[in-house]
Amino acid sequence: MILRSIGVQGWRCFADPMTVGPFGHAINVIHAPNAVGKSTLLEALLRGFFDGHRVGGRDVEMIRPWGRDLSPEVTLEFSEAGTDYRLKKRFLDNASCELFRKEDDRFVRLSEGEKADEFVRSLFSAGSPGRGLSKPAHWGLAQVLLVPQGELAVPELSGNLVEDIQESLGVQVSGPGMSGLEERIDAAYLRFFTRGGKLKTGKDAPRVVELKDRVQELEREQRGILEELEVFDQASRRVEDLRAERAQAKRDAESLDQELAKARQEAQSYGKLVTDRDLKQEQMKTASARHAELKQRIQGIESARKELARAREELERLGKDTSERVKELTRLNALAEQAKSHLEEVRKGRQGVDKAERDAENAERFVQAGRHLAELQGLLKRIREAAQDLEAGKKELAGTVAPDAKALKAIRKARTARDEAQVRLDAALITLEIVPQINGRMEILAAEETGQREITPGTPVLVKGAPEVVVNLEGVARIRARGPAGTVEELREEVNKEARNLEALTAGFGTADMDQLEAKSEHYHRIQQKVSDAQTRLDTLLSNTTAEEIEQESRKTERIIEEISRAYPPWAGTPPDADSLRNAAREIKQAFVSCVEEAELKNEKAAQAFQAANVRIAKLQAEHDLLDRGVKSISERLEDMQKDGMDDPERAAKLSGISLEWDAARSGVEKLETEFSRFQDDPRLLAERLEKQRNAIQDQASNALELLKKEEGRLEQLATSGPYSALSQVEEQIAELKTQIDTEELRINAIRLLRDTVLHCKAKILSDLRKPVEESATRMLQRIAGTRIGSVQLADSFNPQAVTPRMASSDVTLLDLSGGEKEQVHLAVRLALAEVLAGNDRRFLVLDDILTATDTGRLARVLSILEEAAQRLQLFILTCHPERYRGLAEADFYDLEELLISIQP
Amino acid sequence: MKFIHTADWQIGMRAAHVGAVGGRIREARLEAARKVIEVAEAQGAEFILLAGDTFEDNGVDRVLVQKVADILGKSAVPVYIIPGNHDPLVPGSVWDHPAWGEQEKIRVLKAPEPVEIPGGTLFPCPVLEKHSRKDPTAWIDATQKDGLRIGLAHGTVEGMPQVAPDHPIPRDAALRTGLDYLALGHWHSTASYEDPAGTVRMAYSGTHETTRFGERDSGNALVVEIPGPGAPPTVTPLKTGSLAWLTLDQEIGQEGDLARVRALVEQAENPDKTLIEVRLSGFLPGSVGPELGRLKEVLESRFLYHRLDTDSLRPAPEDETWLEGLPQGVLREAALHLRELAGAEPAGASSPEASPRVAAQALMELYALVQGSES
Repeated sequence: MILRSIGVQGWRCFADPMTVGPFGHAINVIHAPNAVGKSTLLEALLRGFFDGHRVGGRDVEMIRPWGRDLSPEVTLEFSEAGTDYRLKKRFLDNASCELFRKEDDRFVRLSEGEKADEFVRSLFSAGSPGRGLSKPAHWGLAQVLLVPQGELAVPELSGNLVEDIQESLGVQVSGPGMSGLEERIDAAYLRFFTRGGKLKTGKDAPRVVELKDRVQELEREQRGILEELEVFDQASRRVEDLRAERAQAKRDAESLDQELAKARQEAQSYGKLVTDRDLKQEQMKTASARHAELKQRIQGIESARKELARAREELERLGKDTSERVKELTRLNALAEQAKSHLEEVRKGRQGVDKAERDAENAERFVQAGRHLAELQGLLKRIREAAQDLEAGKKELAGTVAPDAKALKAIRKARTARDEAQVRLDAALITLEIVPQINGRMEILAAEETGQREITPGTPVLVKGAPEVVVNLEGVARIRARGPAGTVEELREEVNKEARNLEALTAGFGTADMDQLEAKSEHYHRIQQKVSDAQTRLDTLLSNTTAEEIEQESRKTERIIEEISRAYPPWAGTPPDADSLRNAAREIKQAFVSCVEEAELKNEKAAQAFQAANVRIAKLQAEHDLLDRGVKSISERLEDMQKDGMDDPERAAKLSGISLEWDAARSGVEKLETEFSRFQDDPRLLAERLEKQRNAIQDQASNALELLKKEEGRLEQLATSGPYSALSQVEEQIAELKTQIDTEELRINAIRLLRDTVLHCKAKILSDLRKPVEESATRMLQRIAGTRIGSVQLADSFNPQAVTPRMASSDVTLLDLSGGEKEQVHLAVRLALAEVLAGNDRRFLVLDDILTATDTGRLARVLSILEEAAQRLQLFILTCHPERYRGLAEADFYDLEELLISIQP
Repeated sequence: MKFIHTADWQIGMRAAHVGAVGGRIREARLEAARKVIEVAEAQGAEFILLAGDTFEDNGVDRVLVQKVADILGKSAVPVYIIPGNHDPLVPGSVWDHPAWGEQEKIRVLKAPEPVEIPGGTLFPCPVLEKHSRKDPTAWIDATQKDGLRIGLAHGTVEGMPQVAPDHPIPRDAALRTGLDYLALGHWHSTASYEDPAGTVRMAYSGTHETTRFGERDSGNALVVEIPGPGAPPTVTPLKTGSLAWLTLDQEIGQEGDLARVRALVEQAENPDKTLIEVRLSGFLPGSVGPELGRLKEVLESRFLYHRLDTDSLRPAPEDETWLEGLPQGVLREAALHLRELAGAEPAGASSPEASPRVAAQALMELYALVQGSES
């Protein structure tokens, strides 16, 4: 298909009808500056070919020229397979589509409406969008042939375009009827698997999933039954073991019973021996005791007899000693009495000592009282003087009238206030100063002080008054001076008020003169100071006491002196020497103490000697008494021991007899001990131990029996459930299900393998189909960009994926290429695909504003390739840079702007 | 003396190998037990010897124990039973069931000690544990001579293929123990042993009802007749089993072979009591899909149980019928690839999902899809 012309009207910027064409067969460059309508032409071309004429909506509404109520129209003239067509489409209002065919040099209506839409789309193998605007996915071949601005990149081709390309390449990928069979394979696959290749789950899951779930469930049940069988087997073994244990216990008990009977017999023999031996030992013990007792008695009698003799000798010696000690006691008593009398005599010297001490003490008190009395009387004298001074000061103070500091301060303040009021009054008065130059008279008619006054040359006269001052100068003039009225009287009243206040403050002091008032105040202050000093002196002398108390103290001291004087009359004339008297008293006392101590020592010694002698006698007496009691006791004991009715020879004979009995019993015990030696251990202990063992075995057997019964009951219960039969049924079900699963899985795996195999083969064939396009694109690209860039790799849907540079070990994705190289790759692929699609027919290829990133050098090579492509394709280049394509020798140039100007009325 | 020798009833047997019809198999074994009693009565036997493994396991349902006891209890003659290795006399065994004590004719022999029987003495060798290396007949005193001497044991006669001795019984056990006849159980096929004089004094009756495919000469009971002490016994097998276990191994090579197999299958007698296993091998022509389906239908509809094994069937490598109807291009390529894969050795397959078996099935699926699309 090649394009002949494009006509538009009512279409965006083309409000009026405008036609571009007729186009050349090779290269057509439609150029214009921006916003003139190049891309609008391409849009009209696309909508003309692919949109149903009845499409509506906002996108289509936007096609109307702004502010006009026009219906967009496009008219396309083209040739397909040697026939010329004209397609007229009107959108929106009165939408229509008409297809004409050129017959005998004129266009004849071929079809209209949707049929016409369909016919045109079929020329591109394009699909219908159903409703609304067509999208690139619906464009069919035009996905490759029409390149809107900025969309040079080859998209992932969709629809049947891939098949068209394959068909164009002349290779049968699938063969006729392929798609239906493939769909069935796919449908079979999708019955079991998801698109992602996973086995389906949930409600769409294949039966095998349910079967496997059921198997898992049964296998769980199987495990449970196997465990039950295991328990059954264990229980059986346990019962077997318990039975064996019980049988063994029974055998053990029987064996033990025999041993026990033997042991009991032995124990009986042993017991008898023990009894005999105990009896003999008792006899031996008795004989021994009796022998010992008699022997002890004989020895005791002998001993008592000797003790009694010794005690009696000692008693006699003590009697003699006591008599001598009594004589000595009498002598010591006399000496003690004598020492005591002497001591009492010495102690009588005590009174002399006391008197000397009393005299010394009184003398000292007398002297001290005299001194104290003199001090008190001096003090009283000074107190009286101070009191008199104080009284005199107070009297003077009472007779003096003077302002104190506070009154003075108030007076000063009142005086200042008055003066300030006067100043303010003076300032308020009209002051007229007249300096006469001649003598004369002057009459003051209105002023503070009116009347006449003499005036003399050079003596100024001040006249003050308010509200006016009027002075009549005789023969000269009457002078009137006026000022502001109203304030002077107030000021005057203020002056009077302050003067009255000052007068009231100073009235009591006899003068208002400030100097006099201050002198009076100073005098008053001096008197006050004198009174204060006198008071301080008096307070110091009294020192927290009163004069009366001091006088009382003085009288008390006088009485002490009188009292001592009465006792010692001479001291009234001549005071005593207290120190001498004190020394004499001390000497007297020392002599007395020495004498008393000596006498007391002698007395004590004598008393001690007497006491010691007394104690010794008492001790001798006690010893005597004790010995006496001992003699009696021994005598009684001897008598007691001899009460057996035997004499000494008889006792000796009896002792000999008992000794013989003892020996006989001992030999009996030794004989029995010999018999014991045949027993290694005590057979009674063995019997006892065996008895315990037998009891333990019986207990064990009893426990085993109880346990056995319990286990047998459990075993019976387990057996009743028939686990093996249950297992059989479960395993049969599992086996049956596994057979079904195997069948199902075989089918599923077969379907998957079938699909995978088909896909694998398809991919291989497609890979083979891509090669011619890849090779063609690679050749063009290498001519543009050089061989360095390597070969172009296409995806299954023919969009370029990567390049494989010669020097690189791996592919380089388009994202890693520069912008220029990227657009060159896409252009090469577009051209290669367009050539494949064109086959033997020419097809148009529209490139809207491409190669914006390609440099001049490469552009020249691109132009050369475009010229070559133009031999098989009709090329349309929409650009705002026509100068870049001026090198194309066979190109037709269409200046859109010029065309627009030319059609303007 | 005339008696019935039977063994290995394996009542309650697990039959996972036949899946869903396991219950029918178990029921048939009970039916065969009734048949043994009928045979004994019909043959005028004086007693019945059951030489072990009456039950498959001691854990079988007690209802089955009661059923067996009831069946045996209907016998007009005494039934002597010994426990076998499947139902050994252990605590909790089937022999503890009270049903055995309630039936006058049944004697479960629990101890290896002589038992007086009509016309002689029975020397029972009950099995007391699952596994043993001891000769169960060793206890029999050869010197005790008092009428006919019959042994009843369960074990493996020496010389049988086995991993380890399993209740081993010497090949000359009957001779050595002075028995007139030793009734054996344990092996499921009927088998007898001649002494050096050529007299059969020792035999396995085999199971009374066949248990699986390939089990040779089973489903019998033996009628044993002994005229007198030392006289040679007459041992006659009688069919007691009702089920047939049929295995067909067939080679497929050309188009008519499958039809031939189907004809063979259709000739089988009593298919409702027959378990059949058809094993096909060889090369499968692409055109036989419908015939294979027909064979499946016959097997499915008529037989008690069937198993059709086509794992050894492969699409013929030179058979172009697989490719007929396939368009040139991808599908034809895929079919060729699958045919090649199906013919490969299983070990050479890339994965279990792409094994020759799976590939063959995939090819058949493709073939079916093509046929479906054409129709």
